Amino acid sequence: MATNEMQAQALNETEGGKTSFAISMLFPLFRATLWGLTGYFAAAWITAALLGSVIVNPLPATVGYIVGLVGWLMGSGLWEGWIRRAFGGAEAPSYTGVERYFRFGPDSKSTAVRYVVFNVVAFFFAGLAAMAIRVELLTPDSTSWWMSEIHYNMTFGIHGLMMLLAVAASVIVGGVGYYLVPLMLGVRNVVFPKLLGLSWWLLPPAAFAVFMSPTIGGFQTGWWGYPPLAQNSGSGIVFYVLGAATLLTASVLGAINIAGTMVYMRAKGMSLGRVPIFVWGLFAAATILIVEAPATFTGALMDLSDMILGSHFYTGPLGHPLAYMDQFWFLFHPEVYVFALPAFAIWLEILPAAAKRPLFARNWAIAGLVGVSMLGAMLGVHHYFTAVSPARMPIFMTFTETVSIPTGFIYLSAIGTLWGGRLKINAAVLLVLMAMMNFLIGGLTGIFNADVPADLQLHNTYWVVAHFHYTILGAVIFTWIAALYWWFPKVTGRKINEFWGKFHAWWFFVFFNCTFFPMFIAGIDGMNRRVAIYLPYLHEINLFISISAFLLGAGFLIPLANLVYSWRRGEKAEPNPWGSRGLEWQMKSPTPYIPFPEGTEPEVVGPNDNYAAGSKEPFVWISAPSK
Amino acid sequence: MNAAKENLWKAFRGLVLVWIVGLAIGETLIAWGVNNWPLVGSVQARITADATTYLMWQAVALYVLVGGAIVYSAIRFRASSASDAVIPENQKRTWAPFVVTWLVLAIGINLANTIYPGMVGLEQLWAIQMDTKNPLVIDVTAQQWKWTFSYPKQGVTDVSQLVVPEGRTIDFVLRTKDVMHDFWVPAWGVKKDVIPNEVRHLFVTPTALGSTATNPMIRVQCSMICGNGHPLMRAPVKVVTAAKFKTWVASNSF
Repeated sequence: MATNEMQAQALNETEGGKTSFAISMLFPLFRATLWGLTGYFAAAWITAALLGSVIVNPLPATVGYIVGLVGWLMGSGLWEGWIRRAFGGAEAPSYTGVERYFRFGPDSKSTAVRYVVFNVVAFFFAGLAAMAIRVELLTPDSTSWWMSEIHYNMTFGIHGLMMLLAVAASVIVGGVGYYLVPLMLGVRNVVFPKLLGLSWWLLPPAAFAVFMSPTIGGFQTGWWGYPPLAQNSGSGIVFYVLGAATLLTASVLGAINIAGTMVYMRAKGMSLGRVPIFVWGLFAAATILIVEAPATFTGALMDLSDMILGSHFYTGPLGHPLAYMDQFWFLFHPEVYVFALPAFAIWLEILPAAAKRPLFARNWAIAGLVGVSMLGAMLGVHHYFTAVSPARMPIFMTFTETVSIPTGFIYLSAIGTLWGGRLKINAAVLLVLMAMMNFLIGGLTGIFNADVPADLQLHNTYWVVAHFHYTILGAVIFTWIAALYWWFPKVTGRKINEFWGKFHAWWFFVFFNCTFFPMFIAGIDGMNRRVAIYLPYLHEINLFISISAFLLGAGFLIPLANLVYSWRRGEKAEPNPWGSRGLEWQMKSPTPYIPFPEGTEPEVVGPNDNYAAGSKEPFVWISAPSK
Repeated sequence: MNAAKENLWKAFRGLVLVWIVGLAIGETLIAWGVNNWPLVGSVQARITADATTYLMWQAVALYVLVGGAIVYSAIRFRASSASDAVIPENQKRTWAPFVVTWLVLAIGINLANTIYPGMVGLEQLWAIQMDTKNPLVIDVTAQQWKWTFSYPKQGVTDVSQLVVPEGRTIDFVLRTKDVMHDFWVPAWGVKKDVIPNEVRHLFVTPTALGSTATNPMIRVQCSMICGNGHPLMRAPVKVVTAAKFKTWVASNSF
């Protein structure tokens, strides 16, 4: 592309520090760990000593967590990078080289790369928990050589919470979104770069605490944390609540940045009609978090208060557990759209460039994304139709079914884009197509849970387990890996190995369906959720599911190896390997510290999906007026 | 960079063929699945199973129509190679007949589904509850991790096995002593959460004779995570004839 060549000269000067990696750059990480652990144990021990209690009790663990979290954040570079200056101290130097990957800082690109690393690690350990669950379910009895029912309950709780809040909530929004939002909108950084930097540093201690919850007694409620079971099945619920609240805070900090950047910081000429569809998807997801997080956040803390402070919001003879369900699902139903909408938007971002067609019915697609996020606020009650009064059933059944209309617009747009195009199917596009097929099953089986009569039987059975794995694993995770492959050249300047990419795509698709499709049948046959022990008549189908699950799980090592190997030794990529018209591909790859140099800025002069032969470039680079 | 011309109507005829074949295969599989449906053991289960099977016919049809279009267009409209630089001639940004058809169908199917099986099923379930003049009242007490049943009008208290007559509507009065539970007999096709500090009712009219020993779908199963003993929080069920139920009551009441 001509633009790239024109920019190359000037861009070379914005590379930032050229220093190579040195072990001393890990200092903030070591310091954060040291301050975090010291803070945790010191505060928990002092609290325990004052109360005449022990450090694994709920209140000492809560105080320990809060102090430990602050210690970790200060150690990570927050102190000299932000706080010290607020107290009149010296300003921290800005790190522009490799060291910025290992400390707190305002650079959205290194934050996004750290998100990918965190998500991969969290996915790996939460995936191991899934494997442990399937080992337990190999036989119908209690499988006591493997783990007890108590440990089984802790395991699926950790698996669920980590997969949702440490993986699905940030895989596409975090790793892909925070990298691409500034580049796609033609700006140098997000609107609140330090808040975005802070958001990543909240994740590791929260995830670590949740994984470590069995050490203080674990929690057996699953990822729901429903009272009053939460208050009487182990102190680990403290780490569940605090971990979930911390992860949610990180999501909200990111959401503020996405919405703010899109509203206030678009490049010249980028009207809302020209904002890339992926940014629209992120915006729709961000509004959900901003509007709905507070109710659920409060619910979690009230749940914790019942545990440690002796309040009785949800427990005791006057407690009202149904209120917790209302608060919990007010965000955590739409939360699934926070996972899914960015994935939809990725499909619609990749397909036009791959099929060399403009995005079909773009305005309907945007209406779909925003429509889902608006309707999503009104239908969380379908998660507990079995608990509510009949008056609420028809209302929330109708709302829930209505959400399939805007969701359908995504498919309308995708099919219209493919139709009559010339689709180049590389590994990323193949994964997108598979994600669309999986989500179709996930979406259509959701209608059964929206329909009250069918849901009264299917609720809390393996039907539901299959349904949400189709949407989250089958669609969101497939799309995440597709997005990592598609934008890999942007981040690393290299390409992934296409053969192994396609190989594992088929591997996933086959074993994913072998694992989760039989769960629909198990659900209809009367297998309920969250059981370590089931009746022998369900043995055969569970055996098949478990073996498929092991093969599916093992398959995830292929993309891991592919990404790591290609990062070091992959084939060098040209600046715009997919021939995309997106603005992010008009900048240098890998993206320099400052994506485009001072004195220039992009101006949008046309739609970014015009692939007609001989069509004009959608962007021109102009010299920015001096302030 | 020369543009490739496609006859899109000819392509559409191919898609119609894919749809016909796909629908035939898909609906045949569903017919087979519905034929092998597990035990439907109550009037309520008939209603919920009807809703489920109806939605299945529909889901398979929609899967073939939408999924078929995706797979077909991905294969039919693929580039010849990775280095293919041909630009397709079709650069339309929208095409009203397709968009309008999609909108009408999406809204229409949604409205239809809300009415049937949604509201129709609910009205039927509610009607049974409203019309039952003299239900058999059974008090159900859930606690970690067992079920106890009492028959207040029959004078049977605190039994751990649920024995019910066939063909009579039962009003299960659900209470819990500790945490949330969920009363579910898979064969009866409905479930209800048991919530602390609240009393809930579930109306069931069993129609299939049998017991947990003859069909494991006929069992009480806690369906809401309630701690260590959750998977084993089950109770045996026996559905007997009205005469046999009378005998059972006589030998178990005070």
